[in-house]
Amino acid sequence: MTTADEIVLHVKDLYVSFYTYEGVVKALDGVIMFLRRGDTMGLVGETGCGKSVTAKAILGLVEAPGRIEGGKVIFFDKDAETQEITELDLAQLTSEEMLEIRGNKISIVFQDPATYPNPVFRIGDQIAEVIELHQDLSLDVLYMKIAKLELALSETNSDVNRAEIESKIAYYRQQMEDPPEPDKKSIKEAAKLKAIEMLRMVRMPAPEQVANQYPHELSGGMRQRALIAMSLACNPSILICDEATTALDVTVQAQVLKLLNQLKTEIGTSIIVITHDMGVVAETCEWVNVMYAGTSVESCATERLFTKPLHPYTAGLLKAVPKLHEDRERLPQIRGSVPNLISPPTGCRFHPRCDYATEICIETKPILEELEPRHWAACHHPLWTSGGKKNE
Amino acid sequence: MSETLIRTENLKKHFPLTGGVFRKVIGKVHAVDGVNLEIKKGETLGVVGESGCGKTTLGRTILRLLDPTSGKIFFEDEDITEIKGRALRKVRMNMQIVFQDPMASLDPRVTIKNSVGEPLVVNGVARGRKMRDMVLELLEKVGLTEDHLNRFPHEFSGGQRQRICIARALALNPKFVVMDEPTSSTDVSVQAQTLNLMKDLQDEFDLTYMFISHNLSVVKHMSDRLTVMYLGKIAETTPYDIFRKPLHPYSFALVSAVPIPDPQFAGRAHILSGEVPSPISPPPGCRFYPRCMFAQDVCKVEDPPLRDLGGGHLVACHFAGELDFGKSAQMEYADSVEEAVS
Repeated sequence: MTTADEIVLHVKDLYVSFYTYEGVVKALDGVIMFLRRGDTMGLVGETGCGKSVTAKAILGLVEAPGRIEGGKVIFFDKDAETQEITELDLAQLTSEEMLEIRGNKISIVFQDPATYPNPVFRIGDQIAEVIELHQDLSLDVLYMKIAKLELALSETNSDVNRAEIESKIAYYRQQMEDPPEPDKKSIKEAAKLKAIEMLRMVRMPAPEQVANQYPHELSGGMRQRALIAMSLACNPSILICDEATTALDVTVQAQVLKLLNQLKTEIGTSIIVITHDMGVVAETCEWVNVMYAGTSVESCATERLFTKPLHPYTAGLLKAVPKLHEDRERLPQIRGSVPNLISPPTGCRFHPRCDYATEICIETKPILEELEPRHWAACHHPLWTSGGKKNE
Repeated sequence: MSETLIRTENLKKHFPLTGGVFRKVIGKVHAVDGVNLEIKKGETLGVVGESGCGKTTLGRTILRLLDPTSGKIFFEDEDITEIKGRALRKVRMNMQIVFQDPMASLDPRVTIKNSVGEPLVVNGVARGRKMRDMVLELLEKVGLTEDHLNRFPHEFSGGQRQRICIARALALNPKFVVMDEPTSSTDVSVQAQTLNLMKDLQDEFDLTYMFISHNLSVVKHMSDRLTVMYLGKIAETTPYDIFRKPLHPYSFALVSAVPIPDPQFAGRAHILSGEVPSPISPPPGCRFYPRCMFAQDVCKVEDPPLRDLGGGHLVACHFAGELDFGKSAQMEYADSVEEAVS
């Protein structure tokens, strides 16, 4: 398989349950996935399949009545300077330790841009807050001071002033070797400048102006851009986009998807795209994980998924989307509906809706196996095999 | 087929904007701004557009759920713009709507039997035992059973709830049904079931649909003719495949922004700059010109009328038919799929 050097996140047999009045909802039932460094991975499935719960478990945001029952979320943290990799099990960290990770090493963009930015603070201040909290800005403060003095130098006429300013610049340059702890006011100022820089990076028109605006003054697409800027402010190793473009119109969605693709190559963040739209997956992802009713059912490269899906559920999902080029009278449908997770079906959770189900599917739960080279699926009767492990 | 069921003439719906201490009218939202439209008997007219383009307002105004600011609405050649009271109720028996969110449109404290049967009781068609039998018949048509009669909305899944709403819309045997984003809150596998059901019911009950959605693939799948709206106006109405032959620059941009479910074509979307302007003060002239890459001086001044470019293909663009958009990734994708099939 892949070495630890390439992988940035490995979710191992994750179990999450919610203890409600009606019973225990087994939301995640042994989820397995890994994310390679610099990749974009799609997490696909229908409502209630556990996509968002997986994201929350990664970020340590599973709240009561939910509980992580078992499994590991291993994060391979690469130090930017030493290139050293430390292994962290995010499921075991305390909430204080998690604060260091969340928003800094791993960040998330949520679905609804209307509810997530705080409505009473300016966009720029909200981004600056993240930067202040997680980053050491002492160097940035010095750069900012020097830049200001240089501007003053170019404007001044008197020689006395000139000499004074030059000596100040030299003093700050000296400090750069071992930057002193800056005062709060200049930290705030430097953070704000950095926030504007972030807004510029996400191609926001007139970033200086937007930084001073409130969320309600922006349109949906611009708000989503601002949220992406906020998430990327600390150069995270992983960015999770939880249905980040679902609430947007197609033309704006196309803009945001293009931006995500550009940013990935620019700053080298690994991205997890959570979506139910196969088109979005094809547009952005290199690797796809398909989930059904809290289990991982298929994991493979994107081209592979679209040409040769192994799991009957994936195949059904791909066929059920109305195609823009075909004139079909009827859409092929998957019968029935998503099961209730308080009493999920035995064995393979998909068997009541599956056309290929047999006795074994009702009795034993299939495990996620590498049925084809670099193509994992959890199915007793995969749709095709070419000398794979099983051929029934 | 050729008989007209619904016709609108220069239909307008403006919402007043109030402000200040005395709630003075300080402006108006031009939600629907001069729409001429015709829906023929037995066909499905699809309406697409981005949020805020006025597609939902148009549907509701046609049903007289909203009173039009100006213009006229005809149902079977009868002017229904001004009718009130009993006459309106009689016309409404023939016109129904299915809303986007089925949970919000079903009363949580009323059983399915009474919810679906309410139109029957209100209009004096049936009550008691007879009503129950008719409701059961309707529920069976949409794939539900007798067991479901006395249950409450929360006991159903999203797809089932939407089917209940469809059954209720069909209770009075209407001629015309507006489907307002009926599948946008359901999952793909359930969406396929709902769309198939709606097609079956259309054949069985001889229905005429106005199908409103922001999802181009779904609308295209359902419709005989397709209307693209932009900022309260019709940009294009086409009986042809919009993916292959868009004539309005906006339709082209809209079509080529649809993500293609094939990774080979990733990164090929045609990106439209900017965002939809506010319908409070829409741009003068052609409403699309600030974002249009073909805009000329005439577009800034003159509002292009809807012209027929042959075969009922109506386009509101000064240069319709003269513009060369090139081939979108979507068209190439369609060609590649066709090649693979043959």
